[in-house]
Amino acid sequence: MKPNFRSALALLFFCVAIFVLPLVLGGFWIRAFTSAAIFALAAAGVGLVYAQLGLINLSQIALIGVGGWIALRLNFATDLPVFLLVVIAGLGTSALGALFALPALRLRGLYLALVTLMVAATFQILFNAFQFPNGGSGFWGVAQQSGQAMRRPSIATSDAAYLAFSMVWLALGLLLIEAHKRSAPGRAWKMIRMSEANAMAAGINVTWFKIWAFALSGFLAGTAGALLAGALRQLDARSFTAIEGVLLFALAVVGGVYSWVGAVLAGVLYKLLPALLNNLGVTSDLALIVFGVALLHAIMTAPRGIAGQFEALFQRKDKA
Amino acid sequence: MNLRMTTAAMTCGLLAFATAAKADSGGPVCGLNTGEAATGEPIRVGGISGNAPPGDFSGGTRAAAAYFACVNANGGIHGRPIAYSVGNDQWNPELAGQIASRLVEDEGVVALVGNGSVVEMAVNAELYAEHGVMAMASGCAISECFESANIVSTNQGPLPSGIGALRFAIEELGAEHAACIGFNIPNNGGWACDWMNRYMEQHGLRGTSILMDPTSVDLNGTYLQALASGADTILLMLPAGPAIGLLGVAEEQAGRDMFNWVSPTPLYEPGVTEVLGDYWDGHIYINIELNQFDSDGADNRNWIAVMDAHGRDGDRRDTFSQAGYLSARFFVEALLELDPESIDRASVTDAIRGIVGAESDLLCGPFYVGDGDRHMPNHRGRMVVLRGDAFELVRNCFDIDTAYLEPILEQERRLGLRD
Amino acid sequence: MMTVYGLFMVSGLAVGSLYALGGIGLVILRRSTGFLNFSYGAIAAFSAMTAWQISQWGAPVPVAWIGAVLTGFVLSVTFGYALAPRLSHREPAIKAVATLGYLLILLGLMGLLWDHSLRRLDLPTDRIAVMVLGVRVTVTRLIVLGLAISAVIAMIVYLDRTRTGLNMRALADNRGHAALLGVPILRVETIAWGISGAMAGLTGVFFGSLVRLDPTVITFMVIPALAAAICGRLTSLPMTLIGGLFIGVVESMLALFPTLSAYRTMAPYIIAGLIILWMQRGNKLTFATGD
Repeated sequence: MKPNFRSALALLFFCVAIFVLPLVLGGFWIRAFTSAAIFALAAAGVGLVYAQLGLINLSQIALIGVGGWIALRLNFATDLPVFLLVVIAGLGTSALGALFALPALRLRGLYLALVTLMVAATFQILFNAFQFPNGGSGFWGVAQQSGQAMRRPSIATSDAAYLAFSMVWLALGLLLIEAHKRSAPGRAWKMIRMSEANAMAAGINVTWFKIWAFALSGFLAGTAGALLAGALRQLDARSFTAIEGVLLFALAVVGGVYSWVGAVLAGVLYKLLPALLNNLGVTSDLALIVFGVALLHAIMTAPRGIAGQFEALFQRKDKA
Repeated sequence: MNLRMTTAAMTCGLLAFATAAKADSGGPVCGLNTGEAATGEPIRVGGISGNAPPGDFSGGTRAAAAYFACVNANGGIHGRPIAYSVGNDQWNPELAGQIASRLVEDEGVVALVGNGSVVEMAVNAELYAEHGVMAMASGCAISECFESANIVSTNQGPLPSGIGALRFAIEELGAEHAACIGFNIPNNGGWACDWMNRYMEQHGLRGTSILMDPTSVDLNGTYLQALASGADTILLMLPAGPAIGLLGVAEEQAGRDMFNWVSPTPLYEPGVTEVLGDYWDGHIYINIELNQFDSDGADNRNWIAVMDAHGRDGDRRDTFSQAGYLSARFFVEALLELDPESIDRASVTDAIRGIVGAESDLLCGPFYVGDGDRHMPNHRGRMVVLRGDAFELVRNCFDIDTAYLEPILEQERRLGLRD
Repeated sequence: MMTVYGLFMVSGLAVGSLYALGGIGLVILRRSTGFLNFSYGAIAAFSAMTAWQISQWGAPVPVAWIGAVLTGFVLSVTFGYALAPRLSHREPAIKAVATLGYLLILLGLMGLLWDHSLRRLDLPTDRIAVMVLGVRVTVTRLIVLGLAISAVIAMIVYLDRTRTGLNMRALADNRGHAALLGVPILRVETIAWGISGAMAGLTGVFFGSLVRLDPTVITFMVIPALAAAICGRLTSLPMTLIGGLFIGVVESMLALFPTLSAYRTMAPYIIAGLIILWMQRGNKLTFATGD
């Protein structure tokens, strides 16, 4: 595929996602697509760290929760516009993400994955215990009587408009990643992945660029969390369990971590497939089995993810 | 208005009469009870329940489905059948929101009936209010469910039921210091145990919260914590599974006689007696929100008859099921008073809000909705004790005295249900 | 006050031995096949449910136990024989993530086979107990601790003294080299999956009896068990045993501090996280290759 054609394809995809989908979909699918877009953004972060540095982060789900928490907390404490809430949630979460990068300076592979899993398991319990702010008093902001809702931006108060809003953020997030890949950080990450010793010899600050990747991934998770809070108007700890974190990483790999299409596919598999199965009346047990089989099959047959398979398909056509 | 009230009273009276008559002959009694299938234009009704690990709250929607099937086979709503569409939220907040959108926005249901979940109500309360649609729930367990204008449930939830159990423990078992064991979740265990402690303090007694993470494996430690707190009574503010687990470690520690054991409704479930075994015989007191599964009232027998005739194999017959039956029955009775041609969301919402003083032998008091900003019509309960392989009624309908109910009692005064 | 400490310590050891037992099963498989099996808990849960089902049919307790062990064996070998070889060339973390797919499948199957009724798995050994520092400890709990210890000893002897054990160690160190040396890879790996599965079967029965007979609860017990395995660096069985007991005791003791008690479930994860960081503190990735 030629680069121009590729960009045109991406542009077309997002034009449809932002301008057409909200108009043609019903309420159910609008919400399902919104979820898919939000988690695609988070999956893009996981995929970035894995593709660029070969590092595995299973705690992305916890970071999404943290981003959502920050957004909700500020939502009730301040009158800042929603756009700013999303950005601040992203930045705050990226600081925490950078902190999570510290183990990655000493660890990689399975051990790093396990440390991040332990982090996710710890956050699962914290989220349960403190829940998410809903307009209550005090630092934790949890009212025990029924709570209030997260604001939405004035241009996107309806579900349909909010889908477009989320899609715009997804597009921006993917562009941000693309920009990184094509500039200094991308080159640095590539060298680090091949050999840390060589990267150091070339004068690359390995520590800094590793932290940078985690911070960027955390930023995407944080914005995703803030957007999710706006989509549901609140958050519940049940969305952020450790096992969901493993699943999110698994689906990022299944989708394909080497291109933006993979992140989109991960969002589709993670949120749209269950919605589809639910809508078809498939019982939750059967849906789990279908999901498990699909996951295993994709991991075994598509090492570069489904996006990688598409890519290979196109390349073959180009040659022919 | 007066005329409408009179017709309402007459319809209710007729229905009650029909219920009593037909229940004696064994068959179910539903709606108009004509015995003829309804063939008109369907009335769309929705329902959302959670059924996935770790729990099954589908009893309410299953019972409502059975009742609606029975109504459709018996004349429907003056000839119009009810098309009941149920979604499973699988304890997933996003899915709960999506399903509500489908039902309320895409399918345009006139109301939701039989809802049972611990996530759905929190997520969707605002959507229901925005669209002016009522949810007649039957499986509420979180604060949001009782504090929304557009949700009204036939079950009680942990708060009144737990306080009922405490009141019994104080008055009959001499409890002076109760330990409330619950999940460390603010709108669930935290909410309920807070009110339990307040209740104890209000009576000059002591209350201690012992909260644990839902995934906690160390129930032994939780039990020992209760032991170390010096409490004389344990209130199991937990779903049935973890409650059984806790009773298991208590049995292991030979702790039966160290405490009075009381619990709100979740532990009152078919099969519990078998699982608990002889050891607990006569030692566990449970507050039940609706009448016993084997009680002899006309409505309870009709619930069983409806489930036998129109339920599916494997439908749970628990408190949620009774509550779902009740919600569906009250809903149908409200619809029957409307002109069948003018049934739309607005008229149905008004009709539901207009329900006042509906009665059932499953409940301890009248059911009503009204236009309050919160609803908890069912707040009187009964106490049963585990005895042999069954539960025995030890105290019939009694009031629950907590400050939480003040706004509710105020509503009842306004509706003329209370002096 | 001393007695209170004793109370919680013994209780903690009881829970810790459950973590340790789960962790040991994970380490055995990881050492010999390179797979960190997230579905270990699901296999255990499936076995426990099978044991319950068999006893529901009226079979005596030993039959139910054998049924559980066989179920664990079959489920584990099914994955190990049919699916695992197709992942052998992937990095360890991807292998681990793949087992999540199997976890979901088993969880779904259990949901189809058994509804959400209340169940209880009673063992005859529940009725007999000894008093230790004021805590009643049932024989079942003693068996769990004994099983964990004997599994550690038996595996060490097995890996040290037998040909298959030697092959397993060779495989774990370097699959490629082991193959070149003529180690019958598939056979040895299948044996490892079988041993681990049988362990999962037994573990499931004990979890079901001592914690709760609920598929989801037992399935996700794999996460605290993983914490125990991490204490043993995923390789050392004795350290896994000690680690499991240690985190159990810490978790239990935290119940003594009112402000912390509601959060004590975090203890395993925090301890495990700190232990990995401590073990790898001197590690430099500058010249790291492979995994």
